[in-house]
Amino acid sequence: MTADLYRKIEVSKNDVVNIATFKDSKILDEGALDELNVELVRLINDRAGIELLLDFHNVEFMSSAMLGLLGKIHRKVGGLKGKLKMCSIRPQIYEVFKMTNLNKLFSIHKDEAEALAAFAK
Amino acid sequence: MNAPAATSSAGASPDESTAQSRRSVDVLIAEDSRIQAKMLERSLLTAGHTVRWAINGAEALSMVRERRPAIIVSDIEMPEMTGYELCSAIKKDPALRTIPLILLSTLADPLDIIRGLDAGADNYVTKPYEATYLLARMDALLDTPLDASDDAGGVVLEVGLAGQKFRVKAGRQQVLNLLVSTFENAVTKNKELIVTNQALSVAKDQLQHTNTELTQLNEKIEHSNKRMVRDLKAAAKVQQSLLPALAITIPSATVAWRYVPCQELAGDFLNVFSLDSEHVGLFVVDVSGHGVPSSLLAVTIGAFLSSKVSDSSLLVRPGKEGGPPVVVGPAEVATQLNRLFQADEQAGLYFTFIYGVLHTPTGHLRFVSGGHPPLAHMSREGRIQLIECESFPIGYVPDIEYEEHLLELKPGDRIYLYSDGVPEAMNEALDQMGNERMTATIEAARSQSLETGVVALLDAVQAWCQPKGPLDDVSILGIEWTG
Repeated sequence: MTADLYRKIEVSKNDVVNIATFKDSKILDEGALDELNVELVRLINDRAGIELLLDFHNVEFMSSAMLGLLGKIHRKVGGLKGKLKMCSIRPQIYEVFKMTNLNKLFSIHKDEAEALAAFAK
Repeated sequence: MNAPAATSSAGASPDESTAQSRRSVDVLIAEDSRIQAKMLERSLLTAGHTVRWAINGAEALSMVRERRPAIIVSDIEMPEMTGYELCSAIKKDPALRTIPLILLSTLADPLDIIRGLDAGADNYVTKPYEATYLLARMDALLDTPLDASDDAGGVVLEVGLAGQKFRVKAGRQQVLNLLVSTFENAVTKNKELIVTNQALSVAKDQLQHTNTELTQLNEKIEHSNKRMVRDLKAAAKVQQSLLPALAITIPSATVAWRYVPCQELAGDFLNVFSLDSEHVGLFVVDVSGHGVPSSLLAVTIGAFLSSKVSDSSLLVRPGKEGGPPVVVGPAEVATQLNRLFQADEQAGLYFTFIYGVLHTPTGHLRFVSGGHPPLAHMSREGRIQLIECESFPIGYVPDIEYEEHLLELKPGDRIYLYSDGVPEAMNEALDQMGNERMTATIEAARSQSLETGVVALLDAVQAWCQPKGPLDDVSILGIEWTG
């Protein structure tokens, strides 16, 4: 059952797009990141062409170590020739992406609707 | 106000009728606690009795006079009239004295016995009690009705208790009843106590055993801990030894730096060195994450970025055909580093990086930044600009080309390289120090020495982070081109 497999993300699907919503408002420590890594990899499940949307609307604090995880996921999805997008990132979190210019690397959208529309293009 | 009489309904079970040949009698309860009264009422109803409830001794007395109950069960501490007073009143009244009366008592005080005897109580039941025990006591009393002619209240007896002498009026039957019930209570409590004591003894043994284990474990942990701290300190020394020499002389430039790890080991690293007679290299590295893996990577990167001329050096290559060594441009350094240090090959670690090459005769600074906080450039007049760059952190995206920028310094201009531990330093309210405060601090020191300026910036960070201190490594590297 999905509920047992995922404790740190809420998993849902919209048509072909897999949506992973982060549950915690604070993503700070190593342990949390390790768990997230396990769950996201589990969700991706090496499926070629996977379309994955990461929804940040619950996230209030995020350590820059999270960027390492996002980079991994980005490369993984890229390797599977899939698409990765992110949405609903709060301004103070977005700063972390801007500081490292990763806002230009990742496909970041204002909200879920906009992101889903972008997948369809 | 009379409490309504309650009759048993679903409570009584038919098969109980033979079990204890219970008769159904009218019981009067005197109890000021509603909860305790309800509990007692329920037990009595289940046993098949009818129940009336008075909330204090005075009400009980009036209810007894109104209609005679078969037996009275009374609490002691009650407003208006205590259980002792109620009992006394009942027992002194010739019409009522044969009604058996049970006092519910905690029996905390040895004198309670005397009071009970003096009041003429027939039985004590200690609180807390089992309902079945109380019902059995009631049955026993009802089975041996008190004789009205019993010399209750007639004989004065002397008794010693707790070192004092007391005189009580008590009838023989009454004394016997009270004695038996008190003794029975004591035996029951004693049995309970023995069981509890045994359980306690077992628990104590277990506790001692666990304590011994815990002490041994603690010793092991402390030992391990000491060893780890020694190792970390040794590693920190290695990291420190790779930092720039304290006194660096560079033509046409002064240099100042501060390096403050937030733990024993830092994920930050910095260095400044001559590349050749006309060029100076300077960099700050910030590896993602914390702890040993990050600092190991930081040291490794630092080792790669050495000024020693060799074929494998990233910074200075031997010249062709014996010509002078060639200084590698910053963009190419970053691109090469990115090839060598892809995050997937080192546990997902990536790093931000800013590297500059200063041509000391002209003051031209070529620099590259990979996802790093912007370089701060302060002109001699004190105008500050933060120069943002567009490239990604090193190791993040494979096979990308990095671009460099050129800054032409005027004499007296200063450059500050730093790690994000400076602008992102957080105070107690979790507010960041931010770029404005950082540049203001830099600007404030413009007429003082570069060394003073760098120290002032570090002090500002540490002050901002009071009382806990910075939670991230702090690296600051300043260079002033004197021209």
